Order: sequence, then structure tokens, then C-alpha cells
Amino acid sequence: MSAAKSKMREKKMRNQPISVQYPASQDVESNTQNGQNTSVTAGAFARARAAEVSTMLKAVTKTTGSCHVFGALPKHMRRRAMSHNTKRLPRRLRDVANRMREKSLQTGSKKKKEQAKSKSRRARRRHGNLLLEFNRRQRKNVWLETHIWHAKRFHMVKKWGYCLGDRPTYKCYRPCYRAMSTHCLLQDLSYYCCIELHGEEDKLLVSLSQLTNKETGPTFAAAVCISGRRQGSVVVYRAGKYPSQPVGPVTFLWRPRMQGSTQRQLWIWAHPTIKQDLLTELQIVCQCEAVVAPVVPVVIPAEVPPLPEPESTSAKATQIPRMKRKRNCKDARGPPAKKILGDGTRSPTTPITWKSSSTGIVINDLTMEIVRYRLIGPQSHYVLAETLEAATVCNENGNKSQPSSFWWPEHCKDESNMNLHQQQAEVFHILKEIYSAAELPSGTVLGLTVDDPRLTLPTKKVKALPCLKQAQESDEEKSRELMLRGVPEHCCQSFLWDQSVRDNVTDNKISEQALNRMRNEVLVPGSRLSPTPLQGRVPILLVHQPGKQVGHEMSSWGAGWDLLLPKGWGMAFWVPLVYRGVRIGGLNMSLKHSQNKGIPHFPHDYPDCPAGTRFQEEQETELLDKYKRRPPAKRTNYIKHGCLAPFRCPWQQLVEEWELITKEGREERKGEGQTHNKTDADTVMEEEMTSHLDIFVTEPQSCFTVLRNRKSLRLISGWCRPTTSKGQRPCRTENATPLDSIAVASFLTEHRMSLVWVRLSLLSKGKPELNSMVCAPLAEDLQLLGKKSDSHSPQEPPHRNHFKSRVKQRKKGSEKAATSSVSSDRIEVRGSDLPSTSEPDLTTSAKDPKSSCQSSTDVILGLWPDPLPSITAHCSRVTLGWVTQGDFSLSAGCGEALGFVSVAGLLNTLLNQPREHRGLLLLRNPNSLHYRFAKINIEV
Amino acid sequence: MTEPRIPRISSILQTAPVHTDSGSPAVEMDPVEYTLRKRLPRKLPKRRNDVYVNMKTDFRAQLARCQKLLEGGGHREICVHGLGLAINRAINIALQLQASSQGALQLAANTSTVELVDDLEPEDPEEAGEPMTRTRN
Repeated sequence: MSAAKSKMREKKMRNQPISVQYPASQDVESNTQNGQNTSVTAGAFARARAAEVSTMLKAVTKTTGSCHVFGALPKHMRRRAMSHNTKRLPRRLRDVANRMREKSLQTGSKKKKEQAKSKSRRARRRHGNLLLEFNRRQRKNVWLETHIWHAKRFHMVKKWGYCLGDRPTYKCYRPCYRAMSTHCLLQDLSYYCCIELHGEEDKLLVSLSQLTNKETGPTFAAAVCISGRRQGSVVVYRAGKYPSQPVGPVTFLWRPRMQGSTQRQLWIWAHPTIKQDLLTELQIVCQCEAVVAPVVPVVIPAEVPPLPEPESTSAKATQIPRMKRKRNCKDARGPPAKKILGDGTRSPTTPITWKSSSTGIVINDLTMEIVRYRLIGPQSHYVLAETLEAATVCNENGNKSQPSSFWWPEHCKDESNMNLHQQQAEVFHILKEIYSAAELPSGTVLGLTVDDPRLTLPTKKVKALPCLKQAQESDEEKSRELMLRGVPEHCCQSFLWDQSVRDNVTDNKISEQALNRMRNEVLVPGSRLSPTPLQGRVPILLVHQPGKQVGHEMSSWGAGWDLLLPKGWGMAFWVPLVYRGVRIGGLNMSLKHSQNKGIPHFPHDYPDCPAGTRFQEEQETELLDKYKRRPPAKRTNYIKHGCLAPFRCPWQQLVEEWELITKEGREERKGEGQTHNKTDADTVMEEEMTSHLDIFVTEPQSCFTVLRNRKSLRLISGWCRPTTSKGQRPCRTENATPLDSIAVASFLTEHRMSLVWVRLSLLSKGKPELNSMVCAPLAEDLQLLGKKSDSHSPQEPPHRNHFKSRVKQRKKGSEKAATSSVSSDRIEVRGSDLPSTSEPDLTTSAKDPKSSCQSSTDVILGLWPDPLPSITAHCSRVTLGWVTQGDFSLSAGCGEALGFVSVAGLLNTLLNQPREHRGLLLLRNPNSLHYRFAKINIEV
Repeated sequence: MTEPRIPRISSILQTAPVHTDSGSPAVEMDPVEYTLRKRLPRKLPKRRNDVYVNMKTDFRAQLARCQKLLEGGGHREICVHGLGLAINRAINIALQLQASSQGALQLAANTSTVELVDDLEPEDPEEAGEPMTRTRN
């Protein structure tokens, strides 16, 4: 019974006599005890009845339940309006009703008075007060600059210390996809954290090389990236811990070299969940370089203090305290509130700069200092070209002698700066000639200075479309050059890298109000402000984002541009971009974007990173809560579906089990080898195996890793392809090593406890879901493959629910004991109550009833209790892994799933499969018994 | 139907990928050291009566599309484009259209060259220098 119901009942029964039994006298009792009910004592009987009658009369006269007056009326005479218009009541009840109404009004007014203490809405909405309120509300979760815009249109979620838009409130899943594949989708990625490293190039490279490994692809030192012409991306590991402890993926951008300076500047962009880890790692590696190698990490904070005043000789150091002071005085001012720009919620004492005395590297935390927008889609550069306009040069001859407080006039005086600006503007102009954003080399960077885009805001929202005009010969030549080589190195320079310029631009932004006033004063309404105000020049960086790079289908889908701006200018660029007819996406869309690109999305698909683990736990509790909200009869019974872990993926257990399986398989094979004549290969394998076994015995159980070694990935992806199927041309990079037991054994020694990222595309219908199981097909399943009919797809026989009988027993017991009401979906289960079953885990848990008794775990109906049995062998098909992202893919036109499988399991399966069906696996949703055929793809 | 409609078939020819590196003959090409990444061919502005043939879509569907353009779409001529492996298919479609029109259609074949860009990314970025791009015709 629900709480409210019992409360009502209690209220109703409050005035009722509980027992109407008359205290029976001794002789009556003795009579009944003897079983002789024949004689009735008249006096006692009459007294007992009299007591009953009196209690009944008492109960009848007392009002029960609601004390409304119209309770006295029969139902058909009651009207809703009676409660506030007493004249609708019969006259005999009016007096009572009036009294009741006054009473209730009094209590109501009391409550209202308490509320009225807060200010009027008008006062609350006054600008200063509103800002104060906004600043208060973002103390815990920081708002992006576009927060208010988003909050009006999006479902907001509080994630990672930010308030982020998850998905729009209007229906636009398909329009957003269409925007990504044909026009342009805009996202605010300002929550990504930027960490700036400042130091000499070789020292930086030496320290950063500890965090990465060449095997996973280009590192920080990649030749194109280090020149500053391209943006690179790496997966960062804990210092020297490759391949075990990854931190997460980051992108990085070097500032192009400046003449006569060995100092380099590097921006590392990371997800907010890994920022702290990354910072500590960076602090460790940058320090370790000169001091003795194994530095105790506890010492480091002492050695690397947050930059205090004495070290303010360097330009960077002088900047930081100034910022802080400003923030302090802002706080001191109090009431005249100022809108917080950047990460203002950080307490001013939090260190944001670290310097190492030995290497001279300065680490600078630029979180929320730079706004980052992402435009996805082939026409995103048209949108940019239409929105942005290269800054107009100001040459006021008269003012040349006077130093201006704005940065642009100062820069205009320098001839070299102007040359650079012209070249950059030219490149930007050429950009318009290019048809699709995918045609540029991936990761190209272009620095630029632009006019305030609010000045060229169209009066109406118009979709930016390519202008189809024939380019001139020279332009064509230039655009070809741009497509081949990318942007020349000197054009990648931008003043956005300069802290002083950034601050100047942020401080001197024209307010919306001032701009509107200037617009008002223009003679012809709607025309452009002719002398562009001096403040309106903003340095920006445009960074090209590569599209889909892996795989053969839909290559370079979802390419686009990132727009980097100084803080404070977020809305000034956002609205003009929106006015160019782009779609806006939230977190949801960025997930879909990476899913269509076939790349793992952070932090969803990084189970080996701490952030990924944390995310999975959160996701599990969220899904579990959602599941428990339904009544047990109305939700999926995962036990019957043979799904052990519908809300999470126990990767560690999976990998360990496969490790055991391969070990057993080898031992068997070893036995065979001994009976037969030993070939050389066998002995080799055996040696390997024995050595491997030694390792296995000596090493403690290590954690699983995700395979990111490019060479191994390429090898394994070659193995996954069917070798003799039609329509598949033999690839040029067909690997030299064929798939056989020796190659597999050697591969497995290298990557024992690994998972590998795979893409599965379904052959028939079906839509894979989160945490679907990836299974290995049996031989007879593959024979079913030829038949088209859907009914022929393999099925899992329904499992028996052993826990149900247990629960029933428990229920009976509870009824017998007549204990207090047990909530129906959570039932205590004791190990001693277990019926003996064939399931191994049940017997094991029955063996130690003590522990389970003590814990007395809550069992959720329809879910396996915690110590899971063997995952791989639970179903009729062997489980290899799980899906972490699955959906109907609009780009492929079929269900597609992304997930991880165990390397050992995958290779074992591939070995046993016939050649023409190699790479076919089964996929089963957690809430279904149907297995669907899927083709596996490992893309490098 | 007095005037014969003329579908012009401009099949754009591209030689099959041959391993001759035209861009930088000085550097020895080793397939192990570099990753080849092909960029998509450049897209050009498209009219209503341009049909780009690919190998993914069903042949009959593409044929039906062309027929629809000629009959219902009111176009007097259509251009069927094919690149690489799809050249055969483009020719095939054109011939089928002609055969089904009972001599009302004329063919005109054009060939031209399309510039394609491949990215060669060095496996070991620290040792090898620039990643190269090469153009093939």
C-alpha cells in the first residue's frame, strides 16, 4: 500500500473505536473453553451488546475523513464550485461552511505573507539583480556564454561541472543529421578545457613524449603538427605507463614558430573529466625532466608553487596576478554586479599557473578563457565565410602618433602585421571557392582577424548557400594549392595566442546596448555602420576538423570547422552564426556524430580510462533507477532473457574468462601435440605458451586494456575480412601473415588482456541497443544465413528463473511471520532459502550462506544478483563483448553498433570460422531472444 | 516526339590506381611506412539533369531514375557521369536507355580527367618528414 493511501486510512480510522469487544467475563470464557455454548448468561450478553451499540452510535455521530461540510450532502448534490461559493450549499449547511472557509483563508494568507518577503518580479528582473542571481546560480555548475540562449531551447543537464544543453526541446533528430551531412550543424564546445604549455620546444617534446607512444599513431612531435599548421590528436597515458593506464584523448595545437624565439606555445584541449588527471600528469612530466627521475609526486606541489609575485619577471607571470587582482576588486565591489566571463566561479586563490624551475616550462590553465564552437557539415565554411569578414584596416593618419588603448590600431602601424593580415584574408577568401569542407587536408589551421560579426547581421534568418560563380584561373590555382598543401605556415599565426590581446579584446567589447544605440543613429535604417568602431576587431582561429577517416564507406563524412574565440565574444558570434540557417546540436548530437564517424566518443567509449569507468557507473545507476520505477510485472525479465548485465559491461570479468578459456584451449592442444609427432611449429608455440604461462602465473591479475597499437589493429582488421567473398577486391595492404593458430598465439601473447574497438553492421533488420551482446555464431547458425526469412535467425532458448521460486518462498515465510510489510520489489533473500539448483553460482552462493545472510542483499526482480556467473558460457552462444553505442545508422541505412570485444575471444572465433563466413558475428539485444547476424569491421 | 532527345554521356575517366608515384619520384614508396588515405573526388555543382553513377546504388534504381528524368522530368538531355569503376555502369545505363527508347535517343560520349588527392601519412611521424600528398589523374 502506498504511503498516501495508508495515511488517508489512518486519518479515517482515527476517531473510530478500534475494538468493540466487550471485556468478557470469566465465566463466559470458561464456558466457551469447555465448548459448551448452549447456555448464555443473559446479563453479560446484554451488557456486551450494549457496549457495542454505544460505540457504534459514537462512531456514527463523529465525522470521519474529510471534514468538508458538503460531505454531509449526497453525492449527486455536490458541486465543485461549492467550495468557494457557499451560496450554492443548502442553507442549513451554510454557516458551518462559512466558518470553515474563513479558517482556511487565514492559513492561506499566512503562507502567502511568508512568500512575499522576496522582491517583486520586476525588482528581481532588474538587470543588476538578475546578473547577481545568475552569478549565484552558476556557482556550482558553470554556465557557458551561450547558456541563456540554450536554456530557452534545450533540455539542460548538469554535467562535469557545467550546465550543458543535451538535446533541443523541439523534434529535430533527422533535421540535425541532414544538417550534418548536407549543410551545417553548430555546437558549443566551450566546456572543453584548454591547457597551455609554454617552454622550449625540445624540452617540451621530451617531457610530453612520456605521455604518449608512437605505436598509437602520431604523437605531439608529428612533423606537420609541430609546425603549427595542423591540429593533432593523441591518447594520453600516465607517464611511462603505456599501454596500461590511459588518461584520455586530447587534441593539441602548436603555435607557429616566431622569429628569434625558441619559446613555443602549445594548447592541449581536453575533456573536463580528465582535466585534473591531465594536469597532474603534466606537472609530473614537466618536472621530472631535470630532477632525479623518480620524483615523489607529493613533493611536486611544494616545488612547483602557483606563480607568486617574485617570479613575475616573465610576461606570462605578470598577466596572471593582474587578472586575479581584477577579479578580487570585482568581488569587493559587490552589488554593482558584473557578468562573469570565463570561469569566474573558480576561487581566485586556485592556482592556474605552474612553473618548473628546472625546465622552464610554464603550465597555464586556460579553462573557459577561449570559446570554442564546432561547425559540422560540408558547407560549414560557407557559413563561416558569410558570417565573418576579415577586419578592415584602420589607417587614421592623424592618430598615428597617439597610442591607442585598443589593440588593432596598434597592430595596424606595423607593416609586417598588415602583410600577414592581407595574406590571411586572401586565404579566407579562397576558402569560399572550395565546394566541401572535406576537401581540405585534415586539421588545417587558419588564423584570422575579423570584424565584429554583429555589424553584418542580416535582418532575417537566411540559409547560407554556396554561391556558384566561376572562379578565375589564378584563384583556381590558389585553391588547388590550398587543397593540396593546406594553409601556409605563417598564416596559422593568430593574435588569439597572445594573452594581452585576448584580454584587451574581451575588455573592450562594445555592449549590445551601445551597438543598438549606434544603429539607431544611422541615417538610413538597416544600413551598415560605416566607420567600423575601433573595438570591433577580434582575433580568431579556425581549425579544420577531419571527417570520417576510418573505413571505406562514407569517407570524410562530418568534416567541419572549429571556431576559437576570445572569451566574452561568445554570443556576439553565436547569434550571427545562427542567423545563417545552421542547426544547433547538443551533447546528444555530438554522440551521434561520433557514432556515424565510427570513432569512440569520450567518455562513453573509453572503459579503460578512469573517466570512462566513472561514466559507466553513473550510467548504470541511472538505468537501474529507471528500471526499478516500473512494476516488476511490466518490465523486462533479464534473467529469463539470459542477460546477465543489462546495464553495464563487466569488461574485466570478460577478459579474465577469455584468458582462462584460451589457456585451457592451449593445454588441450598441447596434449594433442604430445600424442602426435611434434612439428617445429608446435614446439615453437609450446615454448611461447609455456613462457606465456609463466608470465601468467607470476604476474598478478592485471587490468584490461584497449588495443590502440596501430600495427596490431591493422593486422587484426585484415583477419576479420572474409577472404573469398565476392565483390571484395583483395586489398593492397593485405597482410603478409595469414590467420592461423601460430600467428594468433603470438598475437595473443602480446595483447593478452585486451579489448578491441569494433563496428558491427547488421545484415538484416534489427536495431542494436546499448549493452547488446556480441556473440560468436555456431556452425549451424552460419548455415541459416542463406535463408532470407527472418524466422530463421538463431534464437536463444528462454532461461529459467531460479530466483523466482526463492522469492516465492521468501514471501510465504514473510506472510507466516506476519512481519511488517515488505516492499514488493525488494525482497530479502537469504542463502539458506536457496533451492538446490543446477546453476553453479547458486550452489556456490548457497555454500556460504553466512556471508549472503550477513549482507542480505536486495534482489531486484528480473536482474541477476551481484556475483555474476560465467559471462561467456551463460547463453547458448559464447559472448565476446558488448555494444556501447548502437542505433539505426541513417548514413548506412541499417542498424549499426559500436563496441568492444575481447581480442582473445574474437581471434578464437575467427580461427574456427570457415573462410567465406569469416567476420560474421551475432548480436542480441538485452531485451530480446533473437540473435541477428552482423558483420564485424575493425577500422584503422 | 519529333525531335530526338540527346543524352550526352560524359564519362569521366580515371585510370585505376597504379603504383606510380608521380608527385615525388625521389622518395621511395614503401607501403609499410605510409598510410594511404584517399580523399573524395571533388564535388562539382550539379544541375537537375546530371546523374552521377556510383557502384553502391542498385543498377535498376539508377536506370529508373534516368528514365524518369527523360520522360517525366521534361529534360531533353541528361548527362550521366561515372568515375573509375562506375564508368562501365554509366556506359551500360546509357546504352540501356538508348535501347529502350527505340532510336529516339542519341548518345554522345565525353571523357575527361579528374584530379584526385591522396594523403600519405607517415607511420613514424618523428622520423619521416612531411606527409606527402600526391595527385593522380
